[in-house]
Amino acid sequence: MNLIGDSLSPMDAEGASEILARLRDVLRDSAVEEHDWDAVVGETPIESLGFDSLTILDVLYDVEEEFGIALDPKQVVKTRTVGEIIALLEQNGA
Amino acid sequence: MAEPRRVAVTGLGVACAIGTDVESFRTSLLAGRGGIAELRSLDTSEMKVGIGGEVEPDFVPAGLKRLRRRPTDRAVDLGIVTAAQALEDAGLIDGAPPYEPQPVAVILGTAVGAAESNTTLQQRFAERGVRGLRPTSVPRVMDNAISGGVSIHFRLTGANYVVISACTSSTNAMGTAYRMVHHGYADTVLTGGADGFFDPFYYGVWNNLGVMSKNPDPARACRPFDAGRDGCVLGEGAGMLVFESWERARARGARIRGEVVGYGESSDASHITSPSAEGQAVAMRAALASAGVEPSDLGAVNAHGTATLANDVCESESIRAVLGAAAERAPVSANKSYFGHTLGASGAIESIAALLGIEQGRLPANLNLENPDPECQVRLVGGDAEALERPFVMKNSFGFGGSNGVLVLGPGE
Repeated sequence: MNLIGDSLSPMDAEGASEILARLRDVLRDSAVEEHDWDAVVGETPIESLGFDSLTILDVLYDVEEEFGIALDPKQVVKTRTVGEIIALLEQNGA
Repeated sequence: MAEPRRVAVTGLGVACAIGTDVESFRTSLLAGRGGIAELRSLDTSEMKVGIGGEVEPDFVPAGLKRLRRRPTDRAVDLGIVTAAQALEDAGLIDGAPPYEPQPVAVILGTAVGAAESNTTLQQRFAERGVRGLRPTSVPRVMDNAISGGVSIHFRLTGANYVVISACTSSTNAMGTAYRMVHHGYADTVLTGGADGFFDPFYYGVWNNLGVMSKNPDPARACRPFDAGRDGCVLGEGAGMLVFESWERARARGARIRGEVVGYGESSDASHITSPSAEGQAVAMRAALASAGVEPSDLGAVNAHGTATLANDVCESESIRAVLGAAAERAPVSANKSYFGHTLGASGAIESIAALLGIEQGRLPANLNLENPDPECQVRLVGGDAEALERPFVMKNSFGFGGSNGVLVLGPGE
Protein backbone atom coordinates (compact mmCIF):
# COMPACT_ATOMS: atom_id res chain seq x y z
CA MET A 1 0.00 0.00 0.00
CA ASN A 2 1.26 3.42 -0.90
CA LEU A 3 0.89 5.41 2.31
CA ILE A 4 2.55 8.75 1.92
CA GLY A 5 3.52 9.18 -1.69
CA ASP A 6 5.12 7.56 -4.71
CA SER A 7 8.73 8.07 -3.75
CA LEU A 8 9.02 5.34 -1.12
CA SER A 9 11.06 2.20 -1.62
CA PRO A 10 9.40 -1.06 -0.47
CA MET A 11 11.49 -0.94 2.73
CA ASP A 12 10.39 2.65 3.43
CA ALA A 13 6.78 1.64 2.84
CA GLU A 14 7.06 -1.16 5.38
CA GLY A 15 8.42 1.24 8.00
CA ALA A 16 5.74 3.78 7.20
CA SER A 17 3.07 1.11 7.56
CA GLU A 18 4.23 0.28 11.07
CA ILE A 19 4.40 3.97 11.97
CA LEU A 20 0.91 4.48 10.56
CA ALA A 21 -0.48 1.68 12.73
CA ARG A 22 1.02 3.24 15.87
CA LEU A 23 -0.03 6.72 14.79
CA ARG A 24 -3.64 5.57 14.32
CA ASP A 25 -3.69 4.47 17.97
CA VAL A 26 -2.31 7.82 19.09
CA LEU A 27 -4.86 9.73 17.01
CA ARG A 28 -7.75 7.62 18.30
CA ASP A 29 -6.71 8.11 21.94
CA SER A 30 -6.47 11.89 21.51
CA ALA A 31 -9.65 12.35 19.49
CA VAL A 32 -13.00 13.73 20.58
CA GLU A 33 -14.89 12.63 17.47
CA GLU A 34 -15.39 8.99 16.52
CA HIS A 35 -14.08 7.80 13.14
CA ASP A 36 -13.28 4.62 11.28
CA TRP A 37 -9.67 4.59 12.38
CA ASP A 38 -8.78 1.60 10.17
CA ALA A 39 -9.66 3.78 7.19
CA VAL A 40 -7.11 6.44 8.15
CA VAL A 41 -4.31 6.50 5.53
CA GLY A 42 -1.49 8.82 4.61
CA GLU A 43 -3.72 11.03 2.50
CA THR A 44 -6.26 11.54 5.31
CA PRO A 45 -6.45 15.26 6.21
CA ILE A 46 -5.84 15.80 9.94
CA GLU A 47 -8.64 18.35 10.05
CA SER A 48 -11.13 15.74 8.85
CA LEU A 49 -10.47 13.77 12.05
CA GLY A 50 -11.78 16.65 14.16
CA PHE A 51 -8.45 17.93 15.51
CA ASP A 52 -7.92 21.64 15.92
CA SER A 53 -5.05 23.85 17.02
CA LEU A 54 -5.59 22.82 20.67
CA THR A 55 -6.30 19.12 20.41
CA ILE A 56 -3.43 18.59 17.94
CA LEU A 57 -1.16 19.46 20.89
CA ASP A 58 -2.27 16.24 22.60
CA VAL A 59 -1.37 14.36 19.43
CA LEU A 60 2.07 15.98 19.46
CA TYR A 61 2.49 15.07 23.13
CA ASP A 62 1.31 11.48 22.66
CA VAL A 63 3.41 11.04 19.51
CA GLU A 64 6.49 12.03 21.47
CA GLU A 65 5.52 9.57 24.22
CA GLU A 66 4.85 6.74 21.77
CA PHE A 67 7.90 7.21 19.57
CA GLY A 68 10.30 8.57 22.18
CA ILE A 69 11.34 11.55 20.05
CA ALA A 70 10.73 15.27 20.35
CA LEU A 71 9.14 17.05 17.38
CA ASP A 72 9.21 20.77 16.67
CA PRO A 73 5.65 22.08 17.33
CA LYS A 74 6.09 24.64 14.52
CA GLN A 75 6.64 21.82 12.06
CA VAL A 76 3.76 19.74 13.47
CA VAL A 77 1.19 22.52 13.12
CA LYS A 78 2.19 22.90 9.46
CA THR A 79 1.27 19.27 8.68
CA ARG A 80 -1.98 18.83 6.81
CA THR A 81 -2.18 15.07 6.39
CA VAL A 82 -1.43 11.97 8.40
CA GLY A 83 1.28 11.13 5.85
CA GLU A 84 3.03 14.42 6.55
CA ILE A 85 3.21 13.54 10.25
CA ILE A 86 4.66 10.16 9.32
CA ALA A 87 7.25 11.87 7.12
CA LEU A 88 8.14 14.17 10.00
CA LEU A 89 8.52 11.21 12.33
CA GLU A 90 10.77 9.46 9.85
CA GLN A 91 12.91 12.57 9.42
CA ASN A 92 13.38 12.59 13.19
CA GLY A 93 14.46 8.97 13.37
CA ALA A 94 11.25 7.08 14.12
CA MET B 1 -39.94 44.23 32.83
CA ALA B 2 -42.35 42.03 30.93
CA GLU B 3 -44.83 39.80 32.74
CA PRO B 4 -43.27 36.62 34.19
CA ARG B 5 -43.82 33.61 31.97
CA ARG B 6 -44.95 30.07 32.75
CA VAL B 7 -42.14 27.53 32.41
CA ALA B 8 -42.90 24.31 30.57
CA VAL B 9 -40.86 21.12 30.69
CA THR B 10 -40.72 19.78 27.14
CA GLY B 11 -37.85 17.28 27.17
CA LEU B 12 -36.47 14.66 29.54
CA GLY B 13 -33.34 12.49 29.50
CA VAL B 14 -32.03 10.22 32.23
CA ALA B 15 -29.45 7.56 33.01
CA CYS B 16 -28.91 5.95 36.39
CA ALA B 17 -28.80 2.52 37.97
CA ILE B 18 -32.46 1.73 37.23
CA GLY B 19 -32.77 2.96 33.67
CA THR B 20 -31.00 4.48 30.71
CA ASP B 21 -33.95 6.29 29.21
CA VAL B 22 -37.16 7.80 30.52
CA GLU B 23 -39.29 4.73 29.85
CA SER B 24 -36.98 2.17 31.51
CA PHE B 25 -36.55 4.58 34.44
CA ARG B 26 -40.33 4.93 34.79
CA THR B 27 -40.86 1.17 34.52
CA SER B 28 -38.33 0.40 37.26
CA LEU B 29 -39.85 3.00 39.58
CA LEU B 30 -43.38 1.68 39.17
CA ALA B 31 -42.21 -1.93 39.50
CA GLY B 32 -40.33 -1.13 42.72
CA ARG B 33 -37.11 -2.42 41.14
CA GLY B 34 -33.93 -0.97 42.63
CA GLY B 35 -30.46 -0.93 41.08
CA ILE B 36 -27.97 -0.90 43.97
CA ALA B 37 -25.33 -3.64 43.60
CA GLU B 38 -21.70 -4.53 44.17
CA LEU B 39 -19.57 -2.15 42.09
CA ARG B 40 -18.19 -3.70 38.88
CA SER B 41 -16.22 -0.75 37.54
CA LEU B 42 -14.09 -0.13 40.64
CA ASP B 43 -11.85 -2.29 42.85
CA THR B 44 -13.06 -1.58 46.39
CA SER B 45 -11.12 -4.39 48.10
CA GLU B 46 -9.27 -1.89 50.30
CA MET B 47 -12.40 0.08 51.18
CA LYS B 48 -15.04 -0.36 53.87
CA VAL B 49 -17.84 -0.14 51.33
CA GLY B 50 -18.08 -1.60 47.83
CA ILE B 51 -21.62 -0.99 46.60
CA GLY B 52 -23.33 1.67 44.53
CA GLY B 53 -25.73 2.48 41.74
CA GLU B 54 -23.95 2.01 38.39
CA VAL B 55 -25.29 2.81 34.96
CA GLU B 56 -25.59 -0.26 32.71
CA PRO B 57 -22.08 -0.63 31.16
CA ASP B 58 -22.97 -0.63 27.44
CA PHE B 59 -25.13 2.48 27.58
CA VAL B 60 -22.53 5.25 27.42
CA PRO B 61 -20.33 3.65 24.70
CA ALA B 62 -23.38 2.96 22.53
CA GLY B 63 -24.76 6.47 23.07
CA LEU B 64 -21.45 8.11 22.22
CA LYS B 65 -21.07 6.00 19.10
CA ARG B 66 -24.49 7.14 17.91
CA LEU B 67 -23.41 10.75 18.51
CA ARG B 68 -20.04 10.08 16.79
CA ARG B 69 -18.00 10.96 19.86
CA ARG B 70 -15.05 9.41 21.64
CA PRO B 71 -15.25 9.04 25.44
CA THR B 72 -13.80 12.06 27.27
CA ASP B 73 -14.83 11.78 30.93
CA ARG B 74 -17.50 9.72 32.69
CA ALA B 75 -19.56 12.69 33.92
CA VAL B 76 -19.21 14.58 30.63
CA ASP B 77 -20.15 11.47 28.65
CA LEU B 78 -23.20 10.79 30.85
CA GLY B 79 -24.20 14.43 30.37
CA ILE B 80 -23.81 14.30 26.59
CA VAL B 81 -25.85 11.13 26.04
CA THR B 82 -28.69 12.19 28.34
CA ALA B 83 -28.69 15.69 26.83
CA ALA B 84 -29.26 14.03 23.45
CA GLN B 85 -32.28 12.21 24.89
CA ALA B 86 -33.79 15.40 26.33
CA LEU B 87 -33.17 17.47 23.19
CA GLU B 88 -34.68 14.73 21.00
CA ASP B 89 -37.63 14.37 23.37
CA ALA B 90 -38.23 18.11 23.05
CA GLY B 91 -37.96 17.94 19.28
CA LEU B 92 -34.95 20.28 19.22
CA ILE B 93 -32.59 17.83 17.51
CA ASP B 94 -33.16 14.83 15.31
CA GLY B 95 -30.57 12.07 15.15
CA ALA B 96 -26.81 12.31 14.85
CA PRO B 97 -24.65 15.40 14.18
CA PRO B 98 -24.06 17.76 12.47
CA TYR B 99 -26.57 20.03 14.20
CA GLU B 100 -27.71 23.53 13.33
CA PRO B 101 -26.92 26.23 15.92
CA GLN B 102 -29.89 27.25 18.08
CA PRO B 103 -30.30 29.75 20.92
CA VAL B 104 -30.67 27.31 23.81
CA ALA B 105 -28.86 27.95 27.12
CA VAL B 106 -27.09 25.11 28.97
CA ILE B 107 -27.24 25.45 32.76
CA LEU B 108 -26.08 22.27 34.49
CA GLY B 109 -25.19 21.13 37.98
CA THR B 110 -22.39 18.84 39.08
CA ALA B 111 -20.93 18.13 42.49
CA VAL B 112 -17.50 16.84 41.51
CA GLY B 113 -17.25 17.75 37.82
CA ALA B 114 -14.83 15.86 35.63
CA ALA B 115 -13.90 13.40 38.39
CA GLU B 116 -12.46 10.69 36.15
CA SER B 117 -10.22 13.15 34.33
CA ASN B 118 -9.07 14.66 37.61
CA THR B 119 -8.18 11.27 39.06
CA THR B 120 -6.32 10.24 35.90
CA LEU B 121 -4.36 13.47 35.96
CA GLN B 122 -3.49 13.13 39.64
CA GLN B 123 -2.20 9.62 39.03
CA ARG B 124 -0.08 10.76 36.09
CA PHE B 125 1.27 13.70 38.09
CA ALA B 126 2.16 11.42 41.02
CA GLU B 127 3.96 9.02 38.68
CA ARG B 128 5.71 11.44 36.32
CA GLY B 129 5.45 14.96 37.67
CA VAL B 130 4.71 17.85 35.30
CA ARG B 131 5.77 15.71 32.34
CA GLY B 132 2.64 13.58 32.96
CA LEU B 133 0.23 16.45 32.26
CA ARG B 134 -1.07 16.38 28.69
CA PRO B 135 -1.57 19.74 26.92
CA THR B 136 -5.36 19.52 27.02
CA SER B 137 -5.48 18.83 30.76
CA VAL B 138 -6.96 22.25 31.53
CA PRO B 139 -10.11 21.89 29.40
CA ARG B 140 -10.46 18.25 30.44
CA VAL B 141 -10.58 18.89 34.19
CA MET B 142 -12.29 22.28 34.40
CA ASP B 143 -15.57 22.10 36.29
CA ASN B 144 -17.57 23.48 33.37
CA ALA B 145 -16.32 20.76 31.00
CA ILE B 146 -19.84 19.29 31.10
CA SER B 147 -21.80 22.38 30.08
CA GLY B 148 -19.12 23.41 27.58
CA GLY B 149 -19.04 19.93 26.05
CA VAL B 150 -22.83 19.79 25.72
CA SER B 151 -23.05 23.30 24.27
CA ILE B 152 -20.34 22.59 21.68
CA HIS B 153 -21.56 19.16 20.67
CA PHE B 154 -25.18 20.22 20.14
CA ARG B 155 -24.31 23.77 19.03
CA LEU B 156 -26.44 25.46 21.69
CA THR B 157 -25.59 29.15 21.64
CA GLY B 158 -27.29 30.47 24.79
CA ALA B 159 -25.32 30.94 28.01
CA ASN B 160 -23.48 27.86 29.22
CA TYR B 161 -22.23 27.34 32.77
CA VAL B 162 -22.39 24.97 35.69
CA VAL B 163 -23.71 25.56 39.17
CA ILE B 164 -21.70 23.83 41.89
CA SER B 165 -23.27 23.37 45.31
CA ALA B 166 -22.56 19.72 46.20
CA CYS B 167 -25.78 17.68 46.33
CA THR B 168 -27.96 20.72 45.55
CA SER B 169 -26.11 21.49 42.31
CA SER B 170 -28.65 20.42 39.72
CA THR B 171 -31.60 21.77 41.71
CA ASN B 172 -29.86 25.14 41.95
CA ALA B 173 -29.11 24.85 38.22
CA MET B 174 -32.77 24.09 37.44
CA GLY B 175 -33.81 26.98 39.67
CA THR B 176 -31.51 29.29 37.74
CA ALA B 177 -32.87 27.93 34.45
CA TYR B 178 -36.44 28.40 35.70
CA ARG B 179 -35.75 32.03 36.57
CA MET B 180 -34.06 32.67 33.21
CA VAL B 181 -37.15 31.51 31.35
CA HIS B 182 -39.69 32.88 33.86
CA HIS B 183 -38.19 36.38 33.69
CA GLY B 184 -37.51 36.38 29.97
CA TYR B 185 -33.71 36.08 29.86
CA ALA B 186 -33.96 32.89 27.80
CA ASP B 187 -36.72 31.15 25.87
CA THR B 188 -35.23 27.66 26.13
CA VAL B 189 -32.74 26.15 28.56
CA LEU B 190 -31.25 22.68 28.72
CA THR B 191 -30.75 22.06 32.43
CA GLY B 192 -30.14 19.26 34.90
CA GLY B 193 -26.89 17.69 35.98
CA ALA B 194 -24.39 14.85 35.80
CA ASP B 195 -21.93 13.16 38.11
CA GLY B 196 -19.74 10.10 37.55
CA PHE B 197 -17.23 9.37 40.30
CA PHE B 198 -16.70 5.62 40.63
CA ASP B 199 -12.94 5.98 40.66
CA PRO B 200 -10.46 5.23 43.47
CA PHE B 201 -10.02 8.86 44.50
CA TYR B 202 -13.58 10.17 44.63
CA TYR B 203 -15.21 6.98 45.88
CA GLY B 204 -12.30 6.74 48.33
CA VAL B 205 -12.89 10.14 49.91
CA TRP B 206 -16.56 9.26 50.44
CA ASN B 207 -15.55 5.89 51.84
CA ASN B 208 -13.36 7.62 54.40
CA LEU B 209 -16.00 10.21 55.29
CA GLY B 210 -17.90 7.38 56.94
CA VAL B 211 -21.45 8.29 55.87
CA MET B 212 -22.01 5.39 53.50
CA SER B 213 -24.09 2.37 54.45
CA LYS B 214 -22.12 -0.72 55.48
CA ASN B 215 -25.12 -3.00 55.04
CA PRO B 216 -23.76 -6.21 53.45
CA ASP B 217 -26.90 -6.67 51.33
CA PRO B 218 -26.77 -4.10 48.47
CA ALA B 219 -30.49 -4.34 47.70
CA ARG B 220 -31.36 -3.45 51.31
CA ALA B 221 -28.59 -0.93 51.97
CA CYS B 222 -30.30 2.33 51.03
CA ARG B 223 -33.16 2.80 53.53
CA PRO B 224 -34.35 6.44 53.63
CA PHE B 225 -36.48 7.25 56.70
CA ASP B 226 -36.26 3.65 57.95
CA ALA B 227 -35.24 3.11 61.58
CA GLY B 228 -32.60 0.62 60.40
CA ARG B 229 -30.86 3.01 57.98
CA ASP B 230 -27.10 3.37 58.40
CA GLY B 231 -26.04 5.78 55.69
CA CYS B 232 -26.23 6.70 52.04
CA VAL B 233 -25.28 4.68 48.97
CA LEU B 234 -23.61 6.51 46.10
CA GLY B 235 -24.85 6.33 42.52
CA GLU B 236 -23.66 7.73 39.21
CA GLY B 237 -25.98 9.27 36.67
CA ALA B 238 -27.37 12.23 34.84
CA GLY B 239 -30.73 13.89 34.40
CA MET B 240 -31.48 16.45 31.70
CA LEU B 241 -34.58 18.60 31.22
CA VAL B 242 -35.60 21.15 28.62
CA PHE B 243 -37.33 24.19 30.14
CA GLU B 244 -38.98 26.66 27.82
CA SER B 245 -41.59 29.35 27.91
CA TRP B 246 -45.09 27.90 27.83
CA GLU B 247 -46.02 30.16 24.91
CA ARG B 248 -43.09 29.04 22.79
CA ALA B 249 -43.73 25.39 23.59
CA ARG B 250 -47.36 25.72 22.55
CA ALA B 251 -46.53 27.74 19.47
CA ARG B 252 -44.22 25.08 18.12
CA GLY B 253 -46.55 22.24 19.11
CA ALA B 254 -44.17 20.70 21.66
CA ARG B 255 -45.43 18.11 24.12
CA ILE B 256 -45.57 19.81 27.52
CA ARG B 257 -44.59 17.13 30.02
CA GLY B 258 -44.85 19.25 33.13
CA GLU B 259 -44.44 22.70 34.59
CA VAL B 260 -41.91 24.29 36.91
CA VAL B 261 -44.24 26.29 39.08
CA GLY B 262 -41.83 27.82 41.59
CA TYR B 263 -38.40 27.78 43.14
CA GLY B 264 -36.80 28.76 46.43
CA GLU B 265 -33.29 28.63 47.84
CA SER B 266 -31.40 29.44 51.01
CA SER B 267 -28.21 28.81 52.93
CA ASP B 268 -28.00 27.24 56.40
CA ALA B 269 -25.03 29.48 57.23
CA SER B 270 -24.28 27.18 60.15
CA HIS B 271 -22.16 24.08 59.45
CA ILE B 272 -20.29 22.77 56.40
CA THR B 273 -21.88 19.28 56.57
CA SER B 274 -24.61 19.23 59.25
CA PRO B 275 -28.01 20.22 57.88
CA SER B 276 -30.29 22.83 59.45
CA ALA B 277 -34.07 22.40 59.56
CA GLU B 278 -34.46 26.18 59.79
CA GLY B 279 -32.39 26.75 56.65
CA GLN B 280 -34.27 24.07 54.73
CA ALA B 281 -37.62 25.52 55.79
CA VAL B 282 -36.66 28.94 54.44
CA ALA B 283 -36.08 27.42 50.98
CA MET B 284 -39.32 25.41 51.06
CA ARG B 285 -41.40 28.44 52.08
CA ALA B 286 -39.75 30.54 49.37
CA ALA B 287 -40.52 27.88 46.75
CA LEU B 288 -44.18 27.62 47.75
CA ALA B 289 -44.53 31.42 47.81
CA SER B 290 -42.89 31.67 44.38
CA ALA B 291 -45.30 29.04 43.06
CA GLY B 292 -48.38 30.52 44.69
CA VAL B 293 -49.08 27.03 46.01
CA GLU B 294 -50.41 26.41 49.52
CA PRO B 295 -49.12 23.42 51.53
CA SER B 296 -52.61 21.94 51.25
CA ASP B 297 -52.27 21.97 47.44
CA LEU B 298 -49.26 19.61 47.53
CA GLY B 299 -49.84 16.00 46.52
CA ALA B 300 -46.40 14.83 47.59
CA VAL B 301 -42.92 15.82 48.69
CA ASN B 302 -40.02 14.35 46.75
CA ALA B 303 -37.45 14.34 49.54
CA HIS B 304 -33.71 14.79 49.48
CA GLY B 305 -33.87 11.61 51.61
CA THR B 306 -30.23 10.52 51.68
CA ALA B 307 -30.76 7.78 54.30
CA THR B 308 -28.08 9.23 56.57
CA LEU B 309 -29.11 9.36 60.22
CA ALA B 310 -28.87 13.16 60.35
CA ASN B 311 -30.52 14.11 57.04
CA ASP B 312 -33.75 12.20 57.34
CA VAL B 313 -34.59 13.43 60.85
CA CYS B 314 -33.69 17.01 59.95
CA GLU B 315 -35.65 16.95 56.68
CA SER B 316 -38.69 15.49 58.46
CA GLU B 317 -38.54 18.39 60.92
CA SER B 318 -38.35 21.00 58.18
CA ILE B 319 -41.16 19.44 56.13
CA ARG B 320 -43.36 19.26 59.22
CA ALA B 321 -42.53 22.86 60.14
CA VAL B 322 -43.47 24.18 56.68
CA LEU B 323 -46.47 22.00 55.83
CA GLY B 324 -47.99 21.72 59.31
CA ALA B 325 -51.15 19.59 59.27
CA ALA B 326 -50.96 19.42 55.46
CA ALA B 327 -47.94 17.12 55.87
CA GLU B 328 -50.45 14.32 56.53
CA ARG B 329 -51.84 14.78 53.01
CA ALA B 330 -48.52 15.01 51.17
CA PRO B 331 -46.72 11.66 51.31
CA VAL B 332 -42.93 11.72 51.10
CA SER B 333 -41.10 9.90 48.29
CA ALA B 334 -37.42 8.98 48.65
CA ASN B 335 -36.13 7.94 45.22
CA LYS B 336 -32.52 7.40 46.31
CA SER B 337 -33.66 4.02 47.64
CA TYR B 338 -33.68 2.93 43.95
CA PHE B 339 -30.47 4.32 42.44
CA GLY B 340 -28.47 5.79 45.31
CA HIS B 341 -27.26 9.31 45.88
CA THR B 342 -26.14 10.71 42.56
CA LEU B 343 -24.79 13.84 44.29
CA GLY B 344 -24.98 16.84 41.93
CA ALA B 345 -27.24 14.95 39.51
CA SER B 346 -29.72 13.87 42.20
CA GLY B 347 -32.04 16.86 42.03
CA ALA B 348 -32.44 16.49 38.27
CA ILE B 349 -32.96 12.73 38.24
CA GLU B 350 -35.44 12.91 41.13
CA SER B 351 -37.28 15.85 39.54
CA ILE B 352 -37.76 13.65 36.48
CA ALA B 353 -39.17 10.94 38.77
CA ALA B 354 -41.49 13.54 40.30
CA LEU B 355 -42.66 14.78 36.88
CA LEU B 356 -43.33 11.20 35.74
CA GLY B 357 -45.28 10.68 38.98
CA ILE B 358 -47.40 13.73 38.18
CA GLU B 359 -47.85 12.54 34.57
CA GLN B 360 -49.15 9.13 35.61
CA GLY B 361 -50.79 10.15 38.89
CA ARG B 362 -48.82 7.59 40.89
CA LEU B 363 -46.00 7.73 43.41
CA PRO B 364 -43.48 4.87 43.40
CA ALA B 365 -43.03 2.83 46.57
CA ASN B 366 -40.19 3.71 48.93
CA LEU B 367 -37.84 0.74 48.93
CA ASN B 368 -36.61 -0.76 52.20
CA LEU B 369 -39.00 1.25 54.34
CA GLU B 370 -39.84 -1.57 56.74
CA ASN B 371 -39.85 0.25 60.07
CA PRO B 372 -40.37 3.99 59.64
CA ASP B 373 -38.16 5.91 62.06
CA PRO B 374 -40.45 7.34 64.77
CA GLU B 375 -38.22 10.41 64.83
CA CYS B 376 -39.24 11.13 61.21
CA GLN B 377 -42.72 12.59 61.74
CA VAL B 378 -43.90 12.78 58.14
CA ARG B 379 -46.30 10.64 56.15
CA LEU B 380 -44.18 8.37 53.96
CA VAL B 381 -45.12 6.48 50.82
CA GLY B 382 -44.94 2.87 51.95
CA GLY B 383 -43.89 -0.36 50.30
CA ASP B 384 -46.51 -0.07 47.54
CA ALA B 385 -47.00 2.58 44.86
CA GLU B 386 -49.87 4.88 45.66
CA ALA B 387 -52.07 7.41 43.90
CA LEU B 388 -51.01 11.05 43.74
CA GLU B 389 -54.10 12.92 44.95
CA ARG B 390 -53.11 16.48 43.97
CA PRO B 391 -50.81 17.33 41.05
CA PHE B 392 -48.21 19.56 42.72
CA VAL B 393 -44.98 18.05 44.07
CA MET B 394 -42.30 19.82 46.10
CA LYS B 395 -38.76 18.63 45.30
CA ASN B 396 -36.11 19.16 47.99
CA SER B 397 -32.32 19.15 47.59
CA PHE B 398 -29.79 19.96 50.31
CA GLY B 399 -26.03 20.02 50.02
CA PHE B 400 -22.82 20.17 51.99
CA GLY B 401 -21.89 23.80 52.38
CA GLY B 402 -25.43 24.50 53.58
CA SER B 403 -27.03 25.10 50.18
CA ASN B 404 -30.77 24.37 49.98
CA GLY B 405 -32.80 24.35 46.75
CA VAL B 406 -36.49 23.53 46.38
CA LEU B 407 -38.63 23.29 43.24
CA VAL B 408 -42.40 23.08 42.97
CA LEU B 409 -43.42 20.97 39.98
CA GLY B 410 -46.83 20.66 38.38
CA PRO B 411 -48.66 18.97 35.51
CA GLY B 412 -48.26 19.58 31.79
CA GLU B 413 -50.94 19.46 29.14
